[in-house]
Amino acid sequence: MHSGGNASSLPLVGGAPEPTINQLSKPGRRASRFPKLDVPVTEINNSAIRNDKPSLPEVSEHDLVMHYSRLAHRNFAVDVGFYPLGSCTMKYNPRFADYVAGLNTFANSHPSTPSAFTQGNLEVLHELEKFLIEITGMDNATFQPPAGASGELTGLLIIKKYLEENNLTNKTDIIVPDSAHGTNPASAKMAGFNVVEVSTDVRGMVNIDDLKGLVNENTAGLMLTNPNTGGLFEENIMEISNIIHENGGLVYYDGANLNAIVGVCRPGDMGFDIVHSNLHKTFATPHGGGGPGSGPVAVKAFLKEYLPGPIVEKNEDSYEWYKPKLSIGRMHGYHGNFLVALRALVYMKLLGKEGLDTLGSYAVLNARYLSSVISKVIPLAYNEPCMHEFVATVKDLKKSHKIKAYDVGKALLDKGFHSPTIYFPLIIEEALMFEPTETQTVDTLDDLADTLKAIIDELQGEDVSLEEYPKNLPVGRPNELIPAKHLTVNWGDFELLELTE
Amino acid sequence: MFVPHSEIDLKKMFEELSISSLDDLFTHIPETLKLNDGLNVASSLSELESISDFEILESKNTQNLICFAGGGHYDVYLPQTVKSLTMRPEFMTSYTPYQAEISQGILQVLFEYQSLICDLTDMELANASLYDGATSVAEAVSVAINKTKRDNIVISSGFNPNTKEVVNTLLDRNKFNVNYVDLVDYLFPEDYVFSQDDAAFVVSLPHYEGSAQDLTSIVHNAKAAGVITICYADPSMLGILKSPGSMGFDIVVAEGQSMGSPLSFGGPTVGWFATRKELARLVPGRIIGESRDSNNTKTYVMTLRAREQDIRREKASSNICTNQTLNAVGSTIHLSWLGPEGLYEIGYQAIQKASYMKQLLTDNNFNVLNHTSSLREFLVETKKSAEEVILEMGSKGFLAGIKYDDNQILVAVTEKRTKAQIDNYVQSLMEVDNA
Repeated sequence: MHSGGNASSLPLVGGAPEPTINQLSKPGRRASRFPKLDVPVTEINNSAIRNDKPSLPEVSEHDLVMHYSRLAHRNFAVDVGFYPLGSCTMKYNPRFADYVAGLNTFANSHPSTPSAFTQGNLEVLHELEKFLIEITGMDNATFQPPAGASGELTGLLIIKKYLEENNLTNKTDIIVPDSAHGTNPASAKMAGFNVVEVSTDVRGMVNIDDLKGLVNENTAGLMLTNPNTGGLFEENIMEISNIIHENGGLVYYDGANLNAIVGVCRPGDMGFDIVHSNLHKTFATPHGGGGPGSGPVAVKAFLKEYLPGPIVEKNEDSYEWYKPKLSIGRMHGYHGNFLVALRALVYMKLLGKEGLDTLGSYAVLNARYLSSVISKVIPLAYNEPCMHEFVATVKDLKKSHKIKAYDVGKALLDKGFHSPTIYFPLIIEEALMFEPTETQTVDTLDDLADTLKAIIDELQGEDVSLEEYPKNLPVGRPNELIPAKHLTVNWGDFELLELTE
Repeated sequence: MFVPHSEIDLKKMFEELSISSLDDLFTHIPETLKLNDGLNVASSLSELESISDFEILESKNTQNLICFAGGGHYDVYLPQTVKSLTMRPEFMTSYTPYQAEISQGILQVLFEYQSLICDLTDMELANASLYDGATSVAEAVSVAINKTKRDNIVISSGFNPNTKEVVNTLLDRNKFNVNYVDLVDYLFPEDYVFSQDDAAFVVSLPHYEGSAQDLTSIVHNAKAAGVITICYADPSMLGILKSPGSMGFDIVVAEGQSMGSPLSFGGPTVGWFATRKELARLVPGRIIGESRDSNNTKTYVMTLRAREQDIRREKASSNICTNQTLNAVGSTIHLSWLGPEGLYEIGYQAIQKASYMKQLLTDNNFNVLNHTSSLREFLVETKKSAEEVILEMGSKGFLAGIKYDDNQILVAVTEKRTKAQIDNYVQSLMEVDNA
């Protein structure tokens, strides 16, 4: 091990389980203090007022801080180690962006504050829109969608409204590759479309013949990532988008894999009409343990009036909210995840032309290098040059030694690495999907490959019990069936205790 | 920037790949698609250079407006302890806890979050967060539709107009009717008759206009007609209001900003979602459950996964994937910091201060439209247009409230407001609205 970036020091504290905050509670303890009421007391008569105090834990501030700090110690994170997690773009999140997001009126503006008092906030959104449309090759953007899936739904609702306005309501089919993220078909269904799956060819690309057969007068559009979820660039993308456009459909770009092409090429130049970006992936805003994200949607000019409103427009010397005339309506209570958008703007400004022009290149370089060294240990799923991520498969090891992708992932956890994405895309057996991102050093990539090799050797040993992995973490493999069967989903449930007794 | 590759690294990597430049990575991409001159954006900045840029940008917002606006987002005091714990990098820079063995921290916090919300609302099952209050209402309505297979939605008109718009966007209006029921004297009519076609009854506690009522009998009537009842609650008032569960509601959703998130110009905040166990399989989003590992040690995991989009694809209960976990962490730590006394205090002080303000406004000849039924938020009539008043109050250092109607402003008071601020507000409003 050379990098130190592999968390090989096993930072996760083991030992006894941490009690819940409720178990730490003792009557009469408290952390909160408030100023004395400085107005005369009035009697409150309202039938909705309760007569007792709410049920909440009673803890001292020190106990509170120790508890949540101990829990933090039991959590892997980008700041702790390497996440080669395919499809998730777990790159370094610059600290400076947190500083900017904490500045007074950025952090503390009420969302209904009139634009006259929030010119700085509106300028943030306008500046970010300029970056985003330049990077994606589009014309206008909304920042309302708070996550990628919401961005997808926004895009699909735009397609739907556009078809309605053009009296094309017969168009009800959205084509989605069989390798797509689950959010694609789920979003299409939510928008009221039929989902039609197009298959993947042996090279790992959209099967053009199949696509031609599926496209007809009912085709509303196509959802696609490029590079696709196998990490491969769809070389026939112009032909694909032409096929959809010739049939009167629109082409939607799922920005999950945008990191691969920033500065290299642009969805807008490939024929995409609508693009969502995941600011929490490509533009380095922290994932927060599963959110908040931000999934802005950018469109070509002919779709601008369909965007969720209001959007920011620049007048001569001020910024104003503008409500698009054919808007699909709001996707969020206010302006989306503003502070996430702000962090992305900070990242883009720091990178600037030099950083953004080469962003995709370094992401691809790291992935291509890692695929090259890992292919000496585990075979790759496709014999094609990968972009920012690639898929390997242990289907042979499963046959020979019953070693599953799951087992390899779990064993990696023990060595201080996050698991790669496993069993995705669904079309590849025993898939392990690696995405190193551009912010990892070559030393860390080498360490991962070396560790994988050691693991594969170890797991093939004579007396190995795969279920024992991981061995060195606060907990071992969980029994995922217990809560699903007995629904122990809050601390007031005692069914689990009954079960174990 | 943030790319670590040295010349030595590049040489090693290029050799491994038998290439001589970064461009060689992309020989398979059609030439016509490539950006030959790169992107048309400004040059890179160092952190040192950009500090002043961002501080200048921030200064373009009007500074230090004293906030009397609410409508779902409230200027509740957010303690430093909560902010700094929430922003611990182990929470902030972690991924979704699919790998339970290395994610017990975030999983346990989310389990505590679900439990706290269940305790506070008297529900049995909360999810691990939705995007915000408005989208949570829409998700709850979907659950009701899926459960009842009915197509009429009864919604109280006492909602933030933005929330109504979100519901309208997310609900397929070709398939479902939305029936907005007007409030009478700012309260939901006790004698409203529900029909067997109604899938959901959605009401806000307190109403958007700030008035509150015990909704028990209305909920009872709705449930008697087989309607799923949905309460949109104000979390910062739950310490002093009867819990939605005690009123009989089936689902509780909330805009969780006031618990653990700064106002943030509206985002990121968090949508709370809690319900009863019988609706478990229709719940949108992630749920954390308690389990055991192979050594019988307590272990938290994501559970009931068969509802979710990555497994069920187009048959999922929702398309939600990334949610608002970090804001849910904020809610957990803030609620734990507050405890029963603190959460009560927030509600109690807000109501007392609002009472004082309403009386002061009335004494100075302003008409408070829902004086008696309102708690911490209320409607004030203005002679000038509400927009004009809000702009002029801004120049006196106040965010006066939210425009409700042409001559009506929705004013909110939190525990943070002081008597002096309230006195100055009323004085300023007299100057502005009588000028």
